[in-house]
Amino acid sequence: MSLHCSSAVLALSLALLAAPPPALAQRASDGDWTMPSKDYSASRFSGLAQITPATVKSLHPVWTFSTGTLGGHEGQPLVVNNTMYVVTPYPNVLYAFDLAKDGYPLKWKYRPPVDPNSLGIACCDAVNRGAVYADGKIVYNLLDGHTVAIDAATGKELWKTKIADLAQGETTPMAPFIVKNRVLVGASGGEFGILGWVKGLDLATGKIAWTATNIGPDSLVLAKAGTFKTFYDKGAQLGQTTWPADTWKHGGAPVWGWMSYDPELDLVYYGVGNPGPYNADQRMGDNKWTASVLARHPEDGSLVWAYQFTPHDSWDFDAAAEMVLVDLTVKGKQRKALVHFDKNGFAYTMDRATGEVLLAEPYVHVNWASKIDLATGRPVLNDAKATGASKGNVKDICPTLEGGKSPASPVAYSPVTKLFYASTNSMCMDYAAVQTAHLAGTPFMGINSPYHASDPNMGAFIAWDASTGKRAWEIKEKFPVWSGSLATRGNVVFYGTLDGWFKAANATTGAVLWRFKVGSGVVGDPITFTGADGKQYVAIYAGIGGDWLLLSGDYKSDDPADVRDPADFARDLARHTSQGGIVWIFAL
Amino acid sequence: MRLFSSHARATLVLIAAVGIAGACREQSAVPPASTDTKASENALVISRHDDRVFAGGLMPPAERVVNTEAHNPKAAEEGAALFTSMNCDGCHGGGAVGAVGPNLTDGRWRYGGADADIFRSIAEGRPKGMPSFGGALQPAMIWRLVAYIKSLPPPKDAPTEAW
Ligand code: HEC
Repeated sequence: MSLHCSSAVLALSLALLAAPPPALAQRASDGDWTMPSKDYSASRFSGLAQITPATVKSLHPVWTFSTGTLGGHEGQPLVVNNTMYVVTPYPNVLYAFDLAKDGYPLKWKYRPPVDPNSLGIACCDAVNRGAVYADGKIVYNLLDGHTVAIDAATGKELWKTKIADLAQGETTPMAPFIVKNRVLVGASGGEFGILGWVKGLDLATGKIAWTATNIGPDSLVLAKAGTFKTFYDKGAQLGQTTWPADTWKHGGAPVWGWMSYDPELDLVYYGVGNPGPYNADQRMGDNKWTASVLARHPEDGSLVWAYQFTPHDSWDFDAAAEMVLVDLTVKGKQRKALVHFDKNGFAYTMDRATGEVLLAEPYVHVNWASKIDLATGRPVLNDAKATGASKGNVKDICPTLEGGKSPASPVAYSPVTKLFYASTNSMCMDYAAVQTAHLAGTPFMGINSPYHASDPNMGAFIAWDASTGKRAWEIKEKFPVWSGSLATRGNVVFYGTLDGWFKAANATTGAVLWRFKVGSGVVGDPITFTGADGKQYVAIYAGIGGDWLLLSGDYKSDDPADVRDPADFARDLARHTSQGGIVWIFAL
Repeated sequence: MRLFSSHARATLVLIAAVGIAGACREQSAVPPASTDTKASENALVISRHDDRVFAGGLMPPAERVVNTEAHNPKAAEEGAALFTSMNCDGCHGGGAVGAVGPNLTDGRWRYGGADADIFRSIAEGRPKGMPSFGGALQPAMIWRLVAYIKSLPPPKDAPTEAW
């Protein structure tokens, strides 16, 4: 991956001031933001340090742009060579802003045709989680199952590849991930009974080099004898034998989160989503490798190890969230770790070479399992909270299927404080599963699951020590927190709230230092970059959506023929926000 | 069975469906707009040629199909079961209150709320993500879904939400 930066001098001097830890070392420049999670280790940490607890008070907006769309604005912009790239929710327009010119005018925009049928197939609003830059190209996914590569300088389409099939319930809101000459992509559709996969495309041509499914026989999963080895599970064909008959063929296992890469081990890590249908009675068994982390070689897709966080998931606990790669001291030993905040409420610190769980502690209130047994790697279940059509309406399960943390809200890690920063949700649910039939292109779910608050504050922004599995501090929020996190060497962390505040806090103490009301709820991820003038800037999208479209649709006002009631558990959310689509840039 | 079909195929499927309901088929003048419930009660317009209306000032003839379930007292109840078994609730939410697909209980319609309009939404699909079910469901089943949707009472004061 080649990175360019015209503000290389500043970035270099910062790099010299404090040498980053090895896992972060491949970062070429802190002035730019070239991939969704900032770097291969998915740290969302920037070495920029002009904005500090002392200076942040004077942060103010310097520029805004309306994207002209109202879907949930998840994801983040990219900044490369004094150009900011913004992908909108459906219809997935790509804008390129010239940051070197006054008012940041557009250099170009790219408006692809996108099949509107995808609006019904995308489970949870028409979101897009962003683009990635490599080798002079901006690469991103259209919602209707295409990956496109656009010339970063001219906006011309270089290639377009069909990767997913809408008719099978596949959509593609995920941001691609690029390692060397491979573009890695996955599909959503855990609610549509897809047969989940990851594909490796050739960066130069867009040709599909390999396809690896996440479930099914070893030949499809690309689990080769001699290469594939799990820390806990024994036996072959696990992706097939842990399902009744051929239920794996519609078993879900989507990929819609953020990937990471360890160059030394040459392993790409990603989380796999939920099994389908939600009615677990229709798929007795572990249902591997749903709700799991998979480690693959990017060149040929071969599976090297896998670990399942939630065997026989009966709560929609996707493991789609990011796997952050950091070197940590755990129980007195230096480890090459992988840290993951699962929807199931546990934060895992694992060995990223083998898949061994070193530590797993609840980071929110959890009652479906009492703990993770480190000897077997399996959760110790609370049988009263297991669901399925035969169990009727199972009440008060914590956390909800929104997750203790949503995979849509990626964490940040600061090597300065050695803490993780995460947006969390304190909610519980009732879960009534029912028998359901698979009809291609329609949802394959079989569930009814109202939520309720488990705490008067339904959300928090927390700091987490992954060496010990303990919370360092938390900032309580009235509503669930649904934004990504940003950590900086200036020791300021950033996040946004559903009621539309963009906030900065002291990374060490958790004191909120600054906030600004950005016009719509925040479900996007903050970034920071160096402008053409050498100053540090911070950018964020405002535009509530994603699951909130389904949960509290009364914030919608764009359609006179679709008027919705508020959610019982968050009756006044729409009092503070409506839809939006705004790119904000802030500076001191 | 693939429920996603091109518009052309959806139309063919619908004509086939009309064929099944052949007993109820009749020729007649087309009402000016399908949302005019009085004139088109229970009638499905399957072809109109607005571009030709001005030729002689007369509407061209078109076909209608009558709601075969209009007198079935259990139609709504059976439609409710279909709404779940055909996975409508996965997109429109339990009780059709809206999820990724629009709320069908708010008394407001993108494509018209006459029985025939709702039939057509279900049978042919709609462009922004509503699959066509005309190939998967008999017309009588679609009419039962229409009966169920029409049985859901719109809220009294939807326009205003106050805190
Ligand atoms: C894959 C998701 C999906 C499924 C399954 C689905 N719908 Fe829809 N439906 C939609 C979407 C999205 C729209 C809005 C389409 C548009 O605006 O073009 C819609 C629109 C409609 C409309 C028109 C609403 C209006 O305001 O005019 C009706 C009626 C309807 N659906 C009924 C049903 C019924 C009955 C079923 C089951 C047989 C069903 N839908 C299944 C997604 C779905």
